[in-house]
Amino acid sequence: MSRKENKKYFEILELSADASTLEIKSSYLRLRKLYSTDSIAISPIADEFSEKSRREILRQIDEAYAKLMVMLKDEQRKSKYHHKSLDSGKVSKREEKEEELKFSGQVLRQIRKKMGIHLYEVALDTKIRIELLNEIELEKFNSLPHEAYLRGHISNYAKYLSLDSEKVADDYMERYCAWKGGDKEEPE
Amino acid sequence: MIDEKEGKIWAIGGGKGGTGKTFITSSIGTYLAKNRRRVVLIDVDIGGANLHSFLGINRPKKSLTNFFDMGTPLKNLAVKTGIGNLSLISGDIHSLSSDSIKFTQKLKLFRHIMKLNRQYVIIDLGGGSHNNTIDTFLIADKMIAVVEPEIIAVENMYHFIKNALFRKLRMSLKEYGFKEIIDHMWERREKYRIKNLRELIDCLKDSFSYIGDILDNEISDFTIYLILNKIRSSQDIFIGSSLKSILLKYLGINAKFVGYIEYDDSIWRSVRERRPFMLNYSLSRSAKEIEAFTENLIQGKELKLMRS
Ligand SMILES: Nc1ncnc2c1ncn2[C@@H]1O[C@H](COP(=O)(O)OP(=O)(O)OP(=O)(O)O)[C@@H](O)[C@H]1O
Ligand SMILES: [Mg+2]
Repeated sequence: MSRKENKKYFEILELSADASTLEIKSSYLRLRKLYSTDSIAISPIADEFSEKSRREILRQIDEAYAKLMVMLKDEQRKSKYHHKSLDSGKVSKREEKEEELKFSGQVLRQIRKKMGIHLYEVALDTKIRIELLNEIELEKFNSLPHEAYLRGHISNYAKYLSLDSEKVADDYMERYCAWKGGDKEEPE
Repeated sequence: MIDEKEGKIWAIGGGKGGTGKTFITSSIGTYLAKNRRRVVLIDVDIGGANLHSFLGINRPKKSLTNFFDMGTPLKNLAVKTGIGNLSLISGDIHSLSSDSIKFTQKLKLFRHIMKLNRQYVIIDLGGGSHNNTIDTFLIADKMIAVVEPEIIAVENMYHFIKNALFRKLRMSLKEYGFKEIIDHMWERREKYRIKNLRELIDCLKDSFSYIGDILDNEISDFTIYLILNKIRSSQDIFIGSSLKSILLKYLGINAKFVGYIEYDDSIWRSVRERRPFMLNYSLSRSAKEIEAFTENLIQGKELKLMRS
């Protein structure tokens, strides 16, 4: 399905149809957070709306995101195929690696930078050390604190960026655990 | 600056008192005038008119009192502000509340506002959600709501916007002779199990298919431009996009979040110094923020949260 055919899903995520992968991701996390937690934006109006309508909105957001992820993977495959036919079968390493669709340290860093927020601002407001924030973004798993603390930090950092902290922490910890269980080689 | 064709009359409201409506009216006006637009500001905060103070001038001798009591044409009430291209029609301080304005006077005021010969007519509304305030808001091409990142202000803003949409739908149904239906249903909302405006609209559409199109058209024409004032951290900015999302997803109302102004002490200082903020502190960050959302308003664009 093309971007045009996915217009409805872009609209649910409050994006225009030319949105980048990063915009799709951050909009998804932002809206999930908005409709699954309390805030001054939602609580003054919450009692007018049932729990059911809130859940329905969340369901639509999840659905839109899933559809757009399928679309993105499709786009990647097509562009790879395109390159292949041009370069007589040679596919560069970068393209070979499917673009990471989970929420990693790198995605957090990208979202933060796009928002124009400096790391020191995050440090000041979350009381997480700036060095640690940097290590989280770069996924320097070796230097990170114990899992139990780490999850809390990731979740606070995601909250600071107005993102769904559960989703981000789950994905991040999955990567962390994969590293821990694996050959302990840090991603570059 | 490239102007949109439409958008000549802008109204600044939002419900809660003290959110910065008058300050923002004066600043947008000053900025547009500095950029060679012919602008008139109208202070319709009946009883609390203070727009002149933000422009650093004395209370004009002529005001809406002359319009209401003596029938002076509105265009003759515009006074110079000391800023080129910018004039002011001052509010009425003699009437105690806007309730005292009669229906026919109100319609006459609206007719006169629409006939003013300026590129931009910017209306500063008072606080609250009084019907006269809302009806004035509704005559604008651009309806601008100012809100603070604070719970009461947010609550009042939702209330204000819901009322505005309700009155707009009621007015258009009246044109088609269906006003009684909307009043009837809303008054008996318990019986019809209607909890909110959204459900009222859905219920009306279900029960009377022939008014569905009228309602859909009115709702899709209805756009609110949101300005978030007095933010205290860059995180607060996201409250603006949250409000926009909730207006759309819960209430079905289109909104554009055009921008924000940070909390800045030099704003009240500027009032005390009796100098228009946009001239006095033109290089400050908050002045730049005002310029940015005014440009967005002119072009009908939203604030871009993510840098490209
Ligand atoms: N961004 C800001 N930072 C600091 N002070 C501000 C800011 N914006 C407005 N103010 C101050 O807040 C006060 C209220 O502003 P203003 O009179 O414009 O509000 P208003 O919405 O017009 O109020 P009312 O509903 O009573 O008409 C003023 O003293 C103004 O100087
Ligand atoms: Mg005011």
